[in-house]
Amino acid sequence: MRHLFVVLLSMTFFTLNLFGVDATLKIEKDVEQRARIALMDGSSEQSSKVFDILLSDLKISGHFLPDTTHHIGDLSSNYIIPALKSQEYVIKYAMEQQSGTKLLVRLLKASDGTQIFKKSYAIPTKAKMPFLIHKAISDINNVLKYPSISWINRYVAYAVYTTPGRSEIRVADYTFNYKKTIIKGGLNLFPKWADSRQRSLYYTSYKGTLPTLYKLNIYNGTKTKIASSEGMLVCSDVSKNGSKLLLTMAPEGQADIYELDLASKAKRRVTDFKGIDVNGRYVDDESRIIFISNRLGYANVFKKSIQGGATSQVVYHGRNNNACDAHGDKIVYSSRESNNAFGDNTFNLYLASTGSSDTRPITTTGSNQFPRFSTDGSVILFLKQSGRSSSIGYTNLTSHQSLLFPFNDRKVQSIDW
Amino acid sequence: MTHKLLITTAIVSLILGGCAQPAPDLDGKNNISDANHIEGETVSIDENTFGSDSAGNYNSSSDGFKSIYFGFADYSISSNMENNMNHNIEVANAGASKIKIEGNCDEFGTDEYNYALGLKRAKAVKDSIAAQGIDTSRMVMVSFGESNAVCTEPSDSCYDRNRRVDIRLMK
Repeated sequence: MRHLFVVLLSMTFFTLNLFGVDATLKIEKDVEQRARIALMDGSSEQSSKVFDILLSDLKISGHFLPDTTHHIGDLSSNYIIPALKSQEYVIKYAMEQQSGTKLLVRLLKASDGTQIFKKSYAIPTKAKMPFLIHKAISDINNVLKYPSISWINRYVAYAVYTTPGRSEIRVADYTFNYKKTIIKGGLNLFPKWADSRQRSLYYTSYKGTLPTLYKLNIYNGTKTKIASSEGMLVCSDVSKNGSKLLLTMAPEGQADIYELDLASKAKRRVTDFKGIDVNGRYVDDESRIIFISNRLGYANVFKKSIQGGATSQVVYHGRNNNACDAHGDKIVYSSRESNNAFGDNTFNLYLASTGSSDTRPITTTGSNQFPRFSTDGSVILFLKQSGRSSSIGYTNLTSHQSLLFPFNDRKVQSIDW
Repeated sequence: MTHKLLITTAIVSLILGGCAQPAPDLDGKNNISDANHIEGETVSIDENTFGSDSAGNYNSSSDGFKSIYFGFADYSISSNMENNMNHNIEVANAGASKIKIEGNCDEFGTDEYNYALGLKRAKAVKDSIAAQGIDTSRMVMVSFGESNAVCTEPSDSCYDRNRRVDIRLMK
């Protein structure tokens, strides 16, 4: 009996270790960790759009289990209706958009109505209303001492084709309720945020004979020429302190990855291969890069030291992994999985790491492309196409919560977050 | 029995150990009313001086050159394009102007990879012309990826037309 118990105990530990990384086990644990929270709308004119954005922010944070009912009630009192007593917190809010946009939020303890936090937000324009909501939920998240979700306050920059040979670069909030074209006219591609505060972005212009990389301050319009190259030129990544860029360029007609030091203007060639090397991303504290190459005869993810040296394969799955993003040692890549050259395309996203050959699926249906990590690496943005409809998707890697927002723009060329 | 109890308690403690949650800040330090810190309006610039309104200038070869077409995800010049290549070499030989070689792709690639594929196609055409003795300094390559489609119908024949290299004289 004693031996049988030891065997059973060993099997239990083995099973826990074997499936310890399995997402389905993590979900149960995380569900218990999230705080139950409800929204009470005290606006003079209730808006389902405002409520939906608040709900999205709470969901995608990974820290809350929001009640999806749009409750309407008094803003100023501390009274909690009996139906919400089972929640942990209640957010009472009022959004007014008569002149500009004003938002007042109060965070109350659901059990006794104690006020934990109160703040008002205002902005002169109506269009940027979603950013007020993101800021409020980000603040509430911080007050409750959860890990920061400041990435919900960031712009998404993206390029869309409008007609053959023409494109526009736009910025949006992460829900795409706010959208604004910031560069139009001609062919302008591959927007990439230049700094952590998102005051400037890099983009490639096709206005001249050669593709040219510019840096644009999106608040004052100052434009600086950075580099030009025959063939193609893309700013693929920016170092954390903004001093170095990973560029895909082809000064001799051969697409390779270069590191540009912005202060000294020195360019260092990081890859040197006669096929295709593109999509460089800093990993491992910027000591290495991952990139997409067809050096094995098909597109796949590889890595090498920024100082040069040997190239090694990172992903041992799929036969057409043609785009990737990285955060720290985490890698997300899109893999084309349909057998047909044309027709319905299946692209799925997979999560991998520079330190192991394990991969796990992030998506399983439709066409999922342009994966981009949030600034803290906890969430992945992607473009999802199912049939004729497009959506912007987000997956929280910790809580495994996913959200989709309708995306009505034309064909996307590139996205950065 | 005591051992069993101890071991079971240990396992339960291990499982529950990771579920601790930070306590909320209840002291109300942040309960103030103030303006937000959201940035003001962004600019909106118009670079609408690119070419003409007609996309035709960018949709096919010009100045006597003929477009070269490629197979799916391929960047080698196929044998059925040899006549077009020979024709292009004759046209290039007849003048001294600079030549622009533009690589293009169908819509089935993504991001940077498609632009690199378009460039490989342009490079294949450039190398083929250079092999006939034409000075490489007369040639400039630019990849347009999938941006410069001449056909937007969802059909194989349409995609075939987009996987191409256009050649024209630099103006």
